[in-house]
Order: sequence, then structure tokens, then C-alpha cells
Amino acid sequence: MEDAEFDDILDDWFIESLKTYKDLHVYQLEHPTQVIEWTSEKTVCVAGYSLSKNEILELRLPLKLFADENKGLCAERDFKVAHGGFTDGPVRRLRHIPGTRCVVTNDGLSSDLQVWDLGGDDSDVIRRTGSIAGRRNVSERGSRIAARLSSPPQILHGAQSSDIQLTELTSGRTLYKLETDSADPLSSLQFVTDAVFLAGCSNGSVCVADTRTSAAPQLSPPPASSGDSVLWWADASVGPHPSSCRVIRLSSSGQAVVSDLRKLGGGAVCQAQLDVQTRCCNLDHVRVSWAPMLDDCISVSGFGGVVQIYTTCGWSMELQERQPLFQHRGHVVSSQQTDDSVPVFTTAHIWHPERPRTLLSAASDGSVHVWDWVDPEQSAAGSPIPRT
Amino acid sequence: MPEINVTPLGAGQDVGRSCILVSIGGKNIMLDCGMHMGYNDDRRFPDFSYITQNGRLTDFLDCVIISHFHLDHCGALPYMSEMVGYDGPIYMTHPTKAICPILLEDFRKITVDKKGETNFFTSQMIKDCMKKVVPLNLHQTVQVDDELEIKAYYAGHVLGAAMVHIKVGSESVVYTGDYNMTPDRHLGAAWIDKCRPDILISESTYATTIRDSKRCRERDFLKKVHESIERGGKVLIPVFALGRAQELCILLETFWERMNLKAPIYFSTGLTEKANHYYKLFITWTNQKIRKTFVQRNMFEFKHIKAFDRSYADNPGPMVVFATPGMLHAGQSLQIFKKWAGNEKNMVIMPGYCVQGTIGHKILNGQRKLEMEGRATLDVKLQVEYMSFSAHADAKGIMQLIRMAEPRNMLLVHGEAVKMEFLKGKIEQEFSIDCYMPANGETATITTNPSVPVDISLSLLKREMALGGSLPDPKKPRTMHGTLIMKENSLKLVSSEQALKELGLNEHQLRFTCRVQLQDPHSDPDTLHRIYTHLKSVLKGYTIQHLPDGTVMVESIVIKVSSSAEDSNAKVLLLSWSYQDEDLGSFLSTLLKKGLPSGLC
Repeated sequence: MEDAEFDDILDDWFIESLKTYKDLHVYQLEHPTQVIEWTSEKTVCVAGYSLSKNEILELRLPLKLFADENKGLCAERDFKVAHGGFTDGPVRRLRHIPGTRCVVTNDGLSSDLQVWDLGGDDSDVIRRTGSIAGRRNVSERGSRIAARLSSPPQILHGAQSSDIQLTELTSGRTLYKLETDSADPLSSLQFVTDAVFLAGCSNGSVCVADTRTSAAPQLSPPPASSGDSVLWWADASVGPHPSSCRVIRLSSSGQAVVSDLRKLGGGAVCQAQLDVQTRCCNLDHVRVSWAPMLDDCISVSGFGGVVQIYTTCGWSMELQERQPLFQHRGHVVSSQQTDDSVPVFTTAHIWHPERPRTLLSAASDGSVHVWDWVDPEQSAAGSPIPRT
Repeated sequence: MPEINVTPLGAGQDVGRSCILVSIGGKNIMLDCGMHMGYNDDRRFPDFSYITQNGRLTDFLDCVIISHFHLDHCGALPYMSEMVGYDGPIYMTHPTKAICPILLEDFRKITVDKKGETNFFTSQMIKDCMKKVVPLNLHQTVQVDDELEIKAYYAGHVLGAAMVHIKVGSESVVYTGDYNMTPDRHLGAAWIDKCRPDILISESTYATTIRDSKRCRERDFLKKVHESIERGGKVLIPVFALGRAQELCILLETFWERMNLKAPIYFSTGLTEKANHYYKLFITWTNQKIRKTFVQRNMFEFKHIKAFDRSYADNPGPMVVFATPGMLHAGQSLQIFKKWAGNEKNMVIMPGYCVQGTIGHKILNGQRKLEMEGRATLDVKLQVEYMSFSAHADAKGIMQLIRMAEPRNMLLVHGEAVKMEFLKGKIEQEFSIDCYMPANGETATITTNPSVPVDISLSLLKREMALGGSLPDPKKPRTMHGTLIMKENSLKLVSSEQALKELGLNEHQLRFTCRVQLQDPHSDPDTLHRIYTHLKSVLKGYTIQHLPDGTVMVESIVIKVSSSAEDSNAKVLLLSWSYQDEDLGSFLSTLLKKGLPSGLC
């Protein structure tokens, strides 16, 4: 162990990180995950995606992260494996049902869903309790899943726009089916209110429908510039404030288009060309997300090994190139990948629902990072302001 | 069936003290003898009543093995050996033997002098206890007695920490103590060979965690130091003088160089004396790679780190000081702390656990007003940071260790069963081995299935193989006949002739005789011939001979005919056979009792 070994940790990224992050935690799972889902304020669920047996884990975040007042006195930096279980196949989608200890998963190979009980204080084993049949038996893509707080619990799911249905968890009854002619593969599915949901198709179109009515959904066609082989992902920001009801669509060529959720037919509000490595995007792993606690702030991952944060402030209708406000390069820099020929890429990321700048990100080498970034433009105009 | 019993001593759910009793092959071994740091009364000592209700432990224990110098693993050792009573051997590695008494004495001083406790061991007891210690070298088999042997393996974790392999006959157990599977900067990772013990015993404390990287811990340390220095504050780092302290020194030195920082860094003189001493212990214990670094990096050759003089503490401006002792309970680190505590720009970084009763423990519990000697109060305004740098294996580490050692069974101590079900299932699934989790005070009994190796004589092997049929199938055992000779420590399978020869005994031949009355008017030779013909037709496939000496032989069975003295028409058949032909002999006598068929000529 030469000086070099100590110098290796004092690389540029490390030195920079002293100023650019408030908190930084780096973990190594035994197997990579492409799902990270909050199951409570302090716990997340992750799961493996290898073709045979995998583990599904509920992890408690380190106490130090939450010890705001006496942070210095808390030395606890580790994840705690609160509950764990085994799956028979890959887990490519995982959704927690709010208000319950249930999660629903999909293996990406068929449209059927598996239902799991995360367990309580009396057991640390996650057990499979049932399944929900999808509409199609053979589906190449697998289903997207959405849930919101409801009693009794309900799941919205589908592999393509014509398959979307709302199923009651305990009875298996279908409560709602989306009536539409188009059968486009889905790349996102989420509730924007209790009854209204948004489905993003991989061809770039987006539709909004209400599960209480059988009225036709509102449709927004793919952005004009979309080419044939371009894929799209979408995320809607949900909040009480009127200006926060927006949809962002991101293409595999790095084009980001923002629309008003309430006026979908009205076309885009603004757009930008993002600085992403378009040749290395993995279909399954691209994520785009609005920051829940910051205005005009989005995050992008899956194009390579970096998680990028952009501000949409100042975007216009002109397709201008924009630079990210912040980049998390931790997965690339600390890569534990043994096979150098395949560069590490991010597989998932999520924002903490309440802490404004805390994110969790995962990568193909099994790493999971928890980071709280420092806004580089703290005093400058146009920087994302935390919501009060 | 042979079995191994494992009992973690202690009660209820308490975690925080290691003391495990193992009974293997008729031997009783105590693994670690820790103090529970959370209790102030006798509950802090392990409960030895499990071994014996009263009296000394010497007769009940074959040996005691201590894995490393942390107090929750060795803190109760002098109490056990001198106050309860044990005179047998206590095994530990050389560094552990050197460091243990120092920590025990420190601990004793704090508990007795500072807290005024009475039921505690004395300095003399610590010395007497250490006289019973037999030091271990890595990978060296030590015969505790004729049947019990132990071997130490490198565990990482802290200087001198070992995992222990215990063997009695063909049964064995490995106890891990505390270990880590990812290399530390100055210690390296634990290693063991594929020794396939019957049981691998490990702590479950960290088995359900996933550790944050060392890089991030170090980042936090440097960030805090840097922030303090930048605002003009002073940073105090109380340390125990080895391993971790050197690592932090090198880290700071490299950082200072990289960032071109000017603030002075000091280490106190007490540190340098101790450092020299442990440094020597160190280099024989660590591996080649690490030895090279510390040979290059002599403690006194830092560019940015200088020896401290107590007057420097009053110098204005930022600085960093490494000082002993580690828990702020006395000496220089406490002196410096008193001077710097009142300024909120300053910082104290505690890199490890602090025993109850020390200032370190109090400030880590959030106390901001301290009572000092002479009723003076000290306002703690400086920033207090608790950082844990200790190296432990986590969930992934346990799986790696099991993969390395290939135990037949796994046993986890100090965990709640309901919180360990997933790990148990994971181990059972991946390795197809049983996972036991006895509660404190509960005994886990593990049945072993030891293979007993036996040598077989070549002639016997050849003979058995010649008995025909295909070559033996490893999956289908075939019965064989031989005599087992147990001589000294060897077991041998030989033919009975050879066994008799070795014993100097003669082989006895057993022959049975039987008389059968037969009504037959013919002459003796004619009757014999008729018997011969009859048997030939009935017993096809057997060797039947009509011998010129007037007998018929069926295999080894001899048949003679003589006339009855009382009845001229009756014949007396004499049958005799050897023990090996018992079945055939009985058959023949029954057959002949039925008489000869009339149609014979």
C-alpha cells in the first residue's frame, strides 16, 4: 500500500465531493437492482433482476441521515436489512401500495403481477401472497404498475395503453379498463390525483384518464420532432400548486419536452436538448423525474453511469442545449465492476419525498448511493427553491 | 450420535458481551470472556453458573480462547480467572496478549478510581491472569492436550484479532470473533482455508446490515476537519495509539498535501512512545503489502505532522491534535479538551467507543455541561463528532466467509430469532446447511456425522473385490467382512487370519455332526451310492463327490454310512459340516431324514 493507495481515494471527485455534497453514502449490494421504491419515510425496497432466483430486500436508511439535530453524535451509517425474501424470476418493476405493507412486482417477461407482504415486527421474511393476471398472456415488455392510497387497495397496471386496468387487490376484480384504440407499449404509469392517471407510451404519446368515468382519455401525440426509432419516457409532477401540474417527456436522443398537464392538447410549454450520452441508453433503465420538493427541477439517469439534475427555469420553445445543474458521478468513479469492457450504468434513482435534495441511485455493478447535493447556484437567480 | 453443544452465556436479549461455551468430543472450551459495557452491576459479567454452581472453573474447562482485545470480548477475563477461579491455559495471539492488559488496566482505573466501584478486579489480578496466557501464532496448530488442537487465523478487524479453528478427533468448530471481509487500510481482510468445520460460529450483530463504504467514512472525517480548520477552529482527536491513529494520520497528511493546507497537525508525545512499541508488534502481524507502507511511513517522518508540546494548545489559530488517551478519561487529551471545550468553533472527533464513566462517553451522549474536579462545571460548546471506523463484516461478508470455510452447519449468536429468519433462509438455500440461532443461555446441539478413516489391508481388499460382481459403486455401499483392529491412534481393517496371526491366536474350526437314522436294507456301500445319486439329482449346481474312502462330500459336508447295531435294516448316517456350511448342512440332514426315494438304483 503506497501513498498511491491513499491518493487513490483523494481523487478529484472525492475532493470535490467535500463541497458538492452534504451527505454521501456508498453501499454495495450483492446483486444489482433496477428498482428503488419508498415503503415508508425511512425504508426502501430493492430487488435483483437476474433471470433466475433473486432477493427482494426492504432496507432501512442510516440513522445518521435523519439525525438532523444531533447528527454529529450519530455514528450509524449503515443500511439495515429490515426484511428480505426470495423471488423466482427477475424483478423489473416494483410498486408499494400506500397504507399497506404490500408491494406488487412484475418480472418484465409477462404482464402478470406478483403480490408480496413485506412483514411486520414478528418476522423479517417477505412472502409472496398472491398474483394478479395481466390482460395479455404473452407480453414482451412487462407491465407498468401504479398505486395510490385507497381503501380497499387497488392496482393500476398494463403493458400497453390498450391493456391498462384497475384491479382490486384482495378480490382480483377489475374495476376499470381504459378504452382506447391505440396499443402502444407503456414506458410510465402513475396516478396524478386519486382517480386521474397518466400513461406515457414509449412512442412519445401521453394519455390522461379518470378511473371513475368511462370517458375517452385525453391524448397528447408524440412531440413533433420525434423520429421513428426514438423512445420516450415521461413523468408528471403532482402537487397542490397549479404550476406544478406538468408533464415532462424525455427521448432517447436527449430531447426534453414540458407540457401543462391540464392542457395536454395545447402542445409543449418549453423544451431543451439535454447533455446525455444518447448512444448508451438502456431501455429498461432510463428514469426521468420531477423533484418533489424543488420547483422546476428534474433528474435524469440511465444514459451511462451518471445521474443528472437540470433546472427547467429559462427553458423556451427553442430546442437549446442545456447543461445540468448537478451531476452525480459517484457510480462511475467508485465502480466495483469486475468486467471493464461493459461500463457501469445507472439502473434507477428516486428522490426523497420530503428532504429537498436527497436522492438514492443504483447502478449495474450493484452499487446504491444515498446523496444530498449542494446547489452550486445558491444565490443566483433561477436556482430551484425548496417549497415551504 | 456424536454431537457438539454450543451455549452463548448471558441472559435474555442482551447483546454486547461475548462469552460462548463449546462442548466438543468431551472437551469444554470457553470462547471469549467479555464484559457487558452497559451494566454497572454484576450483570456485566458473564453468567458462569451454567458451567458450575459454585467453585472454580479449572476442572470444567479445558481452555479459554480470546479472539481480540476489545473489552466486550476480554473485559471479564481477570474476573473469571482470579475472582471466580481458573488456572488452565488462556490462548490469544501475541498482539492481543500485549494490548489486553493495558486496556484492562485503563478500564479498571476508570471503573474503580473514577466510579468508585468495589466488586471489580485489581491490577494484581490482571497481572496474575496474564501469566496464564499462552500466545498463538497464525496458522500454527497448537496441541492443548492429546486430543484437543487449536489454530488461529487472521481476522482483520483490529490488530491481533483472530478466528480460531478447534479440533477434537474428526470434529471441529471455527469461531470467528469479530472480523471483516473487505481489506482495511492497515489490516487486510480475514482469511481461512476450506477447513470444512462441523460448525462455523459467528456474531449476528452485523449480519443484517449493509456497510457504508470506508471512502465515505473518511470523506466525512476530512470534511469535518476541513470545515473546522476553515473557520479557524481547533480539532482534537483522542486516540489509542495504534493502527487506526496511524491510518488517520496518513489520511490527513495526504489531504494536507493535496489541498496545500497550512494549519499545523500535531500528535502528543505519549502517542509516539506507544506508537513505537506497537509499531514493532504491528509489522510482524500484518501482511507484506502493509508492512512495506509502515516501514516507509515511520511515525516521525511526516511532513505535516509534528510532535506536540503542551504549550501549543494555547496558540491562536486552527490546528489538529492527536492525543491519548482515547476516551478523554485522563491525561493529555483531557487537558486539551478542557482548554478547547468552551469555543464553538472547535471540534472533538471521537473515533471509537467510550466506556461509561469517561468524559468521552458523556459527551457522546449529548451532555453539554460536565462536572469536573473541585465542583467546577465545564460548558461543552465545541462540536462533538462520533465517527465509527471499525471494520466489521456485514451480510455480504458472512456469505463470503461461509463460501471460504465451507462449514457443515452455521451458528449465529446474539441475534433475535425473528429478525434473523431471512438470513437463515438465505444461508440454508445457498449452502444447503442448517443455521442455528441459540438465544443467550440456550444450548444448541448439533449432531455431527464424523467420517472415521480406516486403513484396509491390500490382501483383504483384493479378496473382497475378487468376490465378483462389478466394481464397487460409490453410491451403493457393499457389505464386506473383515476384522477391525484399533491400535494406538490407528484403525485397520484386515482379514480374520491376519488378525489372529497378529494376536497370536489359533483359528478354531467349528464342525457340527448329526446322526440320521435311515431304513435301508442295502449294504453300506450301496446305501452310500444311493445317497450320492439322490443328492446329485436334488442338489444341482453343488459339488458332490463320491470319494474312494467311503464318504460322500457335498461342498465341505461329509456323509458316512454305517449299519445300525440294533436293527439290521437300519443305517446310521453321520453328517458333519463346518460352520461356514451350516445352512446346507441343516438342509441335508432334514432332506435325508425324509428317507431315500424308492426308484433309486
